[in-house]
Amino acid sequence: MFIKNFKTALALSTCAVLLISQGCKKSFLDVPPQGQQPSQEFFKTADDASKAINSIYANLRVWNNTAFAPMAIESLGSDEAEKGSTPADASYMNAFDNFTVTATEGQIQDFWNGQYQNIQLCNQVLDNVPNIDMDATLKNRYLAEAKFVRAYSYFRLVRAFGDVPLRLHLPKDATEYNIPRTPKADVWAAIETDLTDAATVLPQNYGSSDIGRATKGAAIALHAKVAMYQKKWDQVLSLTNTVKGFGYSLFPNFEESFRIPNENNSESVFEIQAQSLGGGAATSQYSQIQGVPGNLNLGWGFNTPTEALVNAFEPGDPRMDATIIFRGETTPQGDAIEITGPNPRYNQKSYVPKSYPFIQNQGEDQNVRVLRYAEVLLMNAEAANETGDPTTALADLELVRARARGGNNAILPKITTTDQTALRTAIWHERQVELAMEFDRYFDVIRQGRALEVFGPKGWKANKNEVWPIPQNELDLSAGTLVQNPGYN
Amino acid sequence: MKRIYTISGLLLLFTFFTTAVLAQTLTLKGKVTDATTGEALIGVTVAVKGTTTGTQTDVNGAYTLNAASNATLQVSYIGYATQDVAIAGRNNIDIKLQSGTNELQAVVVVGYGTQRKLDVTGSVAQVKGEDIAKQSSTNAVSSLQGKVAGVQITNAGGPGSSPQIRIRGLGTVYGNANPLYVVDGAWFDDISFLNPNDIENISILKDASSESIYGVRAANGVVLVTTKKGKGAPSISYNAYAGWQKVTNQPKLANGTEYATLINELNAIQFPADPTTFPDPNKFGQGTDWLNVVLRNAFTMKHDLTVSGSTDKSTYSFSAGYLSQQGVVVGNNYDRITAHLQQDVQATNFLKLGYNAVLQSSKSRDVPGDVIYKGFTAAPVVPVYYADGAYGDPNDFPIGTATNNPQAQLDFFNQRSNGYRITGNMFADIKFTNYLTFHTSFGGEFGQAEVLGYVPAYKATATQLNDNSTLNVSRGEVRNWIWENTLTFDKTFGDHHLTVLAGQSSQRYKSYNITASARNVPFTSDGDLYLRLGSTTTDPNFPRTIDDSGALATYESYFGRVNYSFKNKYLLNASFRGDGSSKFIGNQRWGYFPSVGAGWVISNEDFMKDQHIFDNLKIRGSWGKIGNASVPANLSTLVVNNSAAFTAIYNGQPATGANITQIVPPITYWERGVGTDFGLEMAFLNNRLTFEADYYEKKTEQAIFAIPVLGSLGTGGGTIIGNQATFRNRGFEFAASWKGTIASDFNYSLSGNFSLNNNLVLSTATGANPIYGGGAAATGGQLSTRTVVGQPIGEYYGLVVDGVFQNTAEITNSLQPDAKPGDFKYKDLNGDNVIDAKDRTTIGNPNPKYLYGFSANLNYKAFDLSVDLQGVAGVDVYNANKGLRFGSENFTKDFYDNRWHGEGTSNTYPSANVGGGKNYLPNTFFVESGAYFRVRNVQVGYTLPSAVASKLFMKRVRIFASGQNVFNSFSYKGFNPEIGGQGDQPGINAGIDNGAYPLYATYNFGVNVTF
Repeated sequence: MFIKNFKTALALSTCAVLLISQGCKKSFLDVPPQGQQPSQEFFKTADDASKAINSIYANLRVWNNTAFAPMAIESLGSDEAEKGSTPADASYMNAFDNFTVTATEGQIQDFWNGQYQNIQLCNQVLDNVPNIDMDATLKNRYLAEAKFVRAYSYFRLVRAFGDVPLRLHLPKDATEYNIPRTPKADVWAAIETDLTDAATVLPQNYGSSDIGRATKGAAIALHAKVAMYQKKWDQVLSLTNTVKGFGYSLFPNFEESFRIPNENNSESVFEIQAQSLGGGAATSQYSQIQGVPGNLNLGWGFNTPTEALVNAFEPGDPRMDATIIFRGETTPQGDAIEITGPNPRYNQKSYVPKSYPFIQNQGEDQNVRVLRYAEVLLMNAEAANETGDPTTALADLELVRARARGGNNAILPKITTTDQTALRTAIWHERQVELAMEFDRYFDVIRQGRALEVFGPKGWKANKNEVWPIPQNELDLSAGTLVQNPGYN
Repeated sequence: MKRIYTISGLLLLFTFFTTAVLAQTLTLKGKVTDATTGEALIGVTVAVKGTTTGTQTDVNGAYTLNAASNATLQVSYIGYATQDVAIAGRNNIDIKLQSGTNELQAVVVVGYGTQRKLDVTGSVAQVKGEDIAKQSSTNAVSSLQGKVAGVQITNAGGPGSSPQIRIRGLGTVYGNANPLYVVDGAWFDDISFLNPNDIENISILKDASSESIYGVRAANGVVLVTTKKGKGAPSISYNAYAGWQKVTNQPKLANGTEYATLINELNAIQFPADPTTFPDPNKFGQGTDWLNVVLRNAFTMKHDLTVSGSTDKSTYSFSAGYLSQQGVVVGNNYDRITAHLQQDVQATNFLKLGYNAVLQSSKSRDVPGDVIYKGFTAAPVVPVYYADGAYGDPNDFPIGTATNNPQAQLDFFNQRSNGYRITGNMFADIKFTNYLTFHTSFGGEFGQAEVLGYVPAYKATATQLNDNSTLNVSRGEVRNWIWENTLTFDKTFGDHHLTVLAGQSSQRYKSYNITASARNVPFTSDGDLYLRLGSTTTDPNFPRTIDDSGALATYESYFGRVNYSFKNKYLLNASFRGDGSSKFIGNQRWGYFPSVGAGWVISNEDFMKDQHIFDNLKIRGSWGKIGNASVPANLSTLVVNNSAAFTAIYNGQPATGANITQIVPPITYWERGVGTDFGLEMAFLNNRLTFEADYYEKKTEQAIFAIPVLGSLGTGGGTIIGNQATFRNRGFEFAASWKGTIASDFNYSLSGNFSLNNNLVLSTATGANPIYGGGAAATGGQLSTRTVVGQPIGEYYGLVVDGVFQNTAEITNSLQPDAKPGDFKYKDLNGDNVIDAKDRTTIGNPNPKYLYGFSANLNYKAFDLSVDLQGVAGVDVYNANKGLRFGSENFTKDFYDNRWHGEGTSNTYPSANVGGGKNYLPNTFFVESGAYFRVRNVQVGYTLPSAVASKLFMKRVRIFASGQNVFNSFSYKGFNPEIGGQGDQPGINAGIDNGAYPLYATYNFGVNVTF
């Protein structure tokens, strides 16, 4: 009995084991990533290159690139804006306004991360797209677009932090993860190289399905701004002159040029494209953070214009009403602003009327105006003045003021001084009011060398506040490879 | 003629050779009774030793069995000493079983088999099904609270949610830190689908050597669950209870007047120019008690019907259960139907087949996850409804938008979750010889879960509104299987007993989830809740969305174990497991997990023969390696980021984007656990008093953490998951029990346990740099925990409060010139005359140091009483609710009573501006003791006299009343000091309380009926 059983049992269990051995093949443990494309399958086709470029533009509108971090780093330090909202709401933002910020403040890390995310996405394209077999013209344009965004991101970094780690390629391995800060002169040089390369390739215009991509004009205008920050006036002059030949023109109505129907208008040199999209697409909260709170509920009411900004406008300058929403006013689009809001003023340039529907965040339709032709004219004016050509400078300035005047000759008298210093001051003032609340003022004043004079009363200190601190986490993680900016230790 | 042989050295007579000898078969009858009381024992297992033939006694204690005339019977019964009786040709053998079990003879469920308690060299705790069913918990894990030394159960959440369980401290940081549950051979992460009534036994493997046989899934402990099997004569039983849950120890909140006063104080600090908000706080009186609006006494009922039995060739058990539980939040309901089916059959004398299956269906009506928190924070000055019936609107009061009307929130929340699941296994045992058995088991799980959420278009208040209705649909599926094959050799050679196990296992885990949403779906009935009735995918404003995700993991394993004992005195166990997992690549794919254990049963030594102190004295020691694979699949594989976030916009039109957003991750491998355990077991006074002590040390090497990477790498300053730290849990466990008899109809038992655990980080990849955590919204984004060498994991980290500023003069002379009177004064710990992040220090430990439990059972005539007490001590909780303020949230009464509101009013509590200034930064004010003591369970039962029962055509009727959490004692000022971990890394975000579920007591009345 035993023997018979043994044989049957053995036969049965052998069957079982044979079945199992099918499962034991090596392939059973080789499981591909689920619902995720392995990286080695990417960057093979023109379509992959196109998607990668899309990711770069999409990333420009994310939180770190358009919301709290830029507001803290690029706006609140200035004399034109303060935190806003209710006092307790995000009160840590005040540290950027009164210059008590320390390296652990989250916005610093966010801003840093936002720029380096852009750079990483660009480096993926710049390192990988050259190997794709595709139309050479399109390939070169993609590379040029990536160089433009990389340059723009390094520009924002070098302005904010001075020396920064310069990554122009993907790290090959762990030994390239932790690199020291590159002197800012080298960073500026790398930015200029990228922009020169980009300008050579990028087209002046795109077909309607590509509006929003970086153009030749955008690359050259940004290059001019980069040169201006380095006081290379000849270069600023020549670059802005080139852009002047590209057919841009100031949009007739200053206030309306910031409204959604007039995005990408004749004055637009570069805008971060935004749109109300569902399905998890990144949306810009640029307008939401600055939107009017309360019953209208357009947003959170941060980054509010200061009294100093109100006072900066010349009497009757229509740009004041176009730049600032005052408590109690009714906007040209018909929104009645409550008289009892927590803040007296809000940013009107980022304003999206109540009538616009949104899916995820209020005002997510609003493009961020990065470079406008008005600024190109003002850079041209400043460069001309610095290089001894007040006539050109005055002509540029008048173009900007004439548009602002809107036909009312009783206001904004023509500037006529040819005294270099007085004209410089006039140009700087024009920048202040023309570009107000566009996140330009803070670094502009530092560039002009007047920061102690203008921001000193708020706590700005020379030899410290020219740059913000390197994020503390970054210092910690670098274990000594990165060194903090002076005054922040 | 009755002869009883008690053979303490088992398996001597029955070897391969003896069974090979043909013997005459006879039909044997008899009765099994309690040796002391003479009472018939029902369901006693009477087996022919060395065979699979066996039966169970019927309600009269009688049994009938076919057996060889020269065979030996093995008679076993829970709570009684197992007896071996030689048949010696007799046809009728009555057996008297001695109660006051010899614990050493008890059988313990261990990995891939059972062992006599005597033979166990590791630390294994057993909890009987009846002790679990006695509790009114709907989740079996919850019933273990306080029952087992070294096992911490943290109950959290509402109906259907699973408690958190930690065996001997926190074993892992990243991902799932729950143990592996093995239910009848199939592996699970969670057993909330099981009806506690269907559980026969739970065995908890606590030390690394006993866990090691489960290899790479064992690092957080292993819980073996055996479901019920039919036993004895056919029996129909019905158990039911009904009762209610009532929120207890609810924190008292500020009333209308107190709230208005606090808001006025807050505004005076925040808006000094325009301070008064409520001119007359007194007019609000009590105001609205929002917690009472949101919470209720909740009704629960549970019915279980079981039909079970066995014949000499088969066993069967079929049960059905129905649970209907209301949540303590208004509108929250949970219904669960379970079925448990079990059958096995001895098909031939060498082949046994069987299956276990658990079917479950659950349905719940959900409530918003944050509604209790909203009730906690809502302004008491706002009425639920205005006189005209409209919702009370916080926007009509000068208090901002931080709070809402929770009633409106509940009314417009419409979400249902349904879950269906079938789990189980089939098995076959093939007996080659009496000592060699092949076992194959195929088990698995098929589950589906769906969530249907609908937000109508509505306007309740100025900020609680929705312009376009939304339907969200989510559907998830799991399809898992496990196939295991083992070969067991079990033989006694003279004084030597050897068991050898060799096995193989293949497992596959697949999950898939799809979510979709559409706007503007009409709603007149549930029949409208289809995406196709709403916006289309091409809708310019509200495109219909759809997304999915999945995971697949496979395992291939080989394992073996040897158990050897000599003269029941010297014990040696060794095991080895090799696990391969698809989650890891290259050289790191396979992990190897050895273990050894040894024991010495001193009381069985000859020199102990004449002593009468110890019935048992045993020492044991063990060592083992275990692994943890609770990490996402393909960690070390670089993938493309296809996120919809990468959609570019050109001229207002979307364009799909994708890119690579990771840096090449390092090769990640198993988290390795190494554990050592030393144990002492003693029994005295005829086994009535037992004592067990363990010392253990468990090291988690190369623990997987997600640690931050340089932001300049452009990965968004995210984290990279890797093997980053080594930490250790070390401690002692003590358990004792006493069984006493006062009279023949009056007996009782007492048991208690106590454990002590110390958690310590030994090294981290970040060197001296801490790994920070706890930086959720709860702490205002501030990192409130750190994991650093020489300290416990995830300790609280923050500033030390050194009083409260009383006036401006004090501030002027301080290191905090920006402070306002009523703000915290912090200690300048590094003495640099600046108060900043460098002044942070250790301010608390969320890892509990002491756990204890105590149980008493008492039987007097027809009455029975059981009481369970339980507690935790030496633990801290971060009460983030106190400082988590965005505006005019309500405060607790405690805060109102103790706050600073003018010079000299308080030097411990700050002003109403506790969430502003620098007061919200992680600091000692927010850290409170999480210690508690509670009466976990009390049950009183009465069994009807059998004469009465039989008149009702029932065999046994017991009625009972029970209460859970009826008494709780703690100093914590939140809802409940039981706070679990949060997020991806619960280990470094532990005990941070921001809106926990309230603690509730349960009162039930029920019946147990056997037909």
